[in-house]
Amino acid sequence: MFQRLLVATALASATFCSAATELVIAGRDSSYGQAMQHIVDEYQKAHPSTNIKLVKRPSKGLYESISLSMREKTGNYDVILMDDTWAPEFLSNNWLTALPKEVEDKDFIQAPFDIGRYPNANSAAYAMPMVGNVAMFAWNKAVFDANNIEKPSSWSEVLAAAKKINANSAKDTNGIVFRGVKGNPIVTGFLPILWGYGADVVDANGQASLNTPEAKQALTAFLAMKQYAPRGVDVYNADEVRDSLQKGSAAMAIEVWPAWVPNLDNPEMSNVVGDMEIMAPPAEVGAPAPMLGIWQLAIPADAKNKTEAAAFLKFATSPAIQKTLALDYGIPPTRESIYNDAEVVSKYRWYPQQAKALTTGKARPRIHNWAEVESILGDFLQMTMLGQMSPEQALEQAQRRISRVIKV
Amino acid sequence: MLFENRKQLTALLLPSLTILGLLAVYPIGSVMINAFGSVDYLSKQYQFVGLANFVELFEDFFFIAAMKNTLVFTLVASSAQVLLGLWLALLFNQKFSGRRFALPIIIYPMMISTLVCSSIWRSWYNYDFGLLNSALVAIGLPAQEWLFNPDLALYAIALVDTWQWTPMAFLIILAGLQSIPKDIGEAAMVDGAKGWRAFAFITLPLIQKQLMLAFLLRSIDAFKLFDKVYVMTGGGPGNATETLSMFVYKYGFRFFNLGMASAAALVMLAISLLMTLFYAHRVMKGGKQ
Amino acid sequence: MSRYLHRFFVWSAVALFILPIVWMFSTAFKSPGEIFHAGANLIPQQISLASFQALLNGELPILVANTVFIALSATVVSLCIAFFAAYALVRYRFPAKLDNLFLLAVLVVKMMPPIVVAVPLYSLMNTLGLLNSQLGLVLAYQVYTLPFCIWMLLSFIRDIPLEIEEAAAMDGAHLLKRLAFVVFPLCAPGLVATAIFAMILGWNEFLFSLLFIHTPDKFTIPLFISNFMTEDGTAWGELMAIGIVSSLPMLALAGYMQRYLLRGFSMGLK
Repeated sequence: MFQRLLVATALASATFCSAATELVIAGRDSSYGQAMQHIVDEYQKAHPSTNIKLVKRPSKGLYESISLSMREKTGNYDVILMDDTWAPEFLSNNWLTALPKEVEDKDFIQAPFDIGRYPNANSAAYAMPMVGNVAMFAWNKAVFDANNIEKPSSWSEVLAAAKKINANSAKDTNGIVFRGVKGNPIVTGFLPILWGYGADVVDANGQASLNTPEAKQALTAFLAMKQYAPRGVDVYNADEVRDSLQKGSAAMAIEVWPAWVPNLDNPEMSNVVGDMEIMAPPAEVGAPAPMLGIWQLAIPADAKNKTEAAAFLKFATSPAIQKTLALDYGIPPTRESIYNDAEVVSKYRWYPQQAKALTTGKARPRIHNWAEVESILGDFLQMTMLGQMSPEQALEQAQRRISRVIKV
Repeated sequence: MLFENRKQLTALLLPSLTILGLLAVYPIGSVMINAFGSVDYLSKQYQFVGLANFVELFEDFFFIAAMKNTLVFTLVASSAQVLLGLWLALLFNQKFSGRRFALPIIIYPMMISTLVCSSIWRSWYNYDFGLLNSALVAIGLPAQEWLFNPDLALYAIALVDTWQWTPMAFLIILAGLQSIPKDIGEAAMVDGAKGWRAFAFITLPLIQKQLMLAFLLRSIDAFKLFDKVYVMTGGGPGNATETLSMFVYKYGFRFFNLGMASAAALVMLAISLLMTLFYAHRVMKGGKQ
Repeated sequence: MSRYLHRFFVWSAVALFILPIVWMFSTAFKSPGEIFHAGANLIPQQISLASFQALLNGELPILVANTVFIALSATVVSLCIAFFAAYALVRYRFPAKLDNLFLLAVLVVKMMPPIVVAVPLYSLMNTLGLLNSQLGLVLAYQVYTLPFCIWMLLSFIRDIPLEIEEAAAMDGAHLLKRLAFVVFPLCAPGLVATAIFAMILGWNEFLFSLLFIHTPDKFTIPLFISNFMTEDGTAWGELMAIGIVSSLPMLALAGYMQRYLLRGFSMGLK
């Protein structure tokens, strides 16, 4: 039996190798994988001679596998799907290929497209925005109406509303919920507030900037929110946040991503159908800066079939594809025209808000080792959330450590 | 009597030596070298830095916390597994109707993927909706903050590990019990040794090696704890469930700092060697009467 | 211990071990709506196959075949090689305590966190041209399974009284004959237990499979399992369903092999 299996595999790999041009795409699994499969199928129809292999990677391992492959210059992949926070590292390592001018298109919303440029916003593009993720703020209008509260426009109002909701409702509705689990989640949960107070992890010169009064205000506000959040919010991740919103056990969420939203209006999966409003996060000072979480398509420098890869990128981000992806797979577009498409908007009532958020969207700091900086900040956020450190100590220590490791 | 034939000895050992030499010498050698250097991830350029990585490690209180957690977890989880496993093995060493069904059920947990195991328990541990707290409240006990009480989280994870891996200790010990020649047991019965005395003076010494082995293998695995923490707490709350493997993973794969990752791995190696050398020694010697 | 007390303990232990498994099965058979509204319940109100249908997308049979092939090959290779090595360590005199040194080295390999070994092993596999090949993966798994098997078998071979072998040697049985007809059957329970563990290691291995394999026709099941846990949330029904599907083959194997484990040997020592 094993011999037969061996022969079968050998034959399979032989047929894969013999075709004229081959395109290997490293993508993600689950809904992203299905969406990408659709693109591949459509592309295949238009280019029957190309042999396309789609490698669906679990989200937990995509980064590890593509970065190791590019480091060793294996030439395994022609197209990769990547998170925008990986871009600075990949770009400064010269792991990606510059894209031809033709791929640019005025229809793309500017902010998500420009984060693919390197070294600055006027330079050539190295990556195209495929998924227009942006962190939104969710609030339950029904609960707000019942408590006579207006839509919140600043984080202090959010805090006040959370307090009032907690006090007025029976204990099963919490004022607010967020991702508090250690690592990346607590940091992305906190960033909208940090930015809302006009502070940031890194300043314009690429220096750590957590030792400012604004950062301290933001952290104090964040910590204050914990008392109006469900017990155990310290280990909440996407699952728990979505659950709390859908069950109606939390009235607001600091950070929700487009993929979490569709079930809010699904009666089978939600107790709050039609009640939730999704909008750009509030700001304390100045205009809100919603966090971008763009998934980009790029071509590794060691790719074997760059010409065709570029054609695939253009195809994958074309208006027709984006519309199908939005309607059938719930993938948020990156093109202005799709957000204005009547059919799309009628399906997703919050899309106009989302387009606005994308336009003013802000990427996470463009530093070489964001993963490391994020992890340090996450460690100290957890320490202070648990009361093992004062907010001042946490910020000061985070500042010191980040300054030491930061690579611009 | 021991066999002396060198040719046979070489032939018997050669395959293992080849495979381990091929696969393990280079990776482990490079870990040992990288631990004393700073390695540029891209150009792979190496610069000797002496003990600098280790100094940095031991100044980092997250690393110290990880070390403490890992040790506590290893001791708690592996002793619980060996004791429970021994108890189960003694129960299953007797024939009873339904043993053929009961045995696969007892060893089923270790067949299930760790990701799935951890997810099951993460759901059970949920404070508001989890099964465990519902059960506690139903019988009039207070709900527990399983995963977000810093004093409880590590033990909650140890419980999951115990559920998943007690079967391994159980099987090793059971195989030991099953290898005891029936005659010895019968002889003991004739001598009048019964119950606890028979267990303490006859059975226990006979399966001592299997007990040590179970302890050795379980503590080595428990020491590398990673997946369960990753799924259930991410190392939190605070640094209550931070482990050495998480630390190595972060430095090796997220920050691509091979020097620090290797140094941490060497510290791990030193601790686990120290911890297990006693058992390892007991398993190693003895056989050659 | 009285017979009834014994039965009581056995079945309460079984009950404790089985509860999370019952929950896994019931969640896999719930509809998404029921998981949301009453996810904690132990018994589904209505049996739904929705979660299993989500798994049926052509890839699963290939994944199962690949995983079976790789886990089985890795186990067979490890078991054979380790059997010889363990036998040598027990029965032969080594110069200068080299046997202890060898065992220690093997222990060190077992203790290394796979994460640090993975990066240099990747370079090595790349150089050898073994990336993205099943042979490469079977070899890489030896890093886990071989040290494990050597240590396991060592204890079991040691339990075999030397006298039996000496008697066989007197009768003129040479090494291979002794191994096959005396040592092998006598440590069968240990071999079976070891084989089960090694299979499980290979069956559930994630990291090497993720890094070393990059075409879907060679993927293994653990890669597929992690599909259902993403940063946007967990697909509970599907995750539990794949948990069942991926563990049943191992369970069947263990159920089949338990008779060798439970035979109980009488070795005729009078």
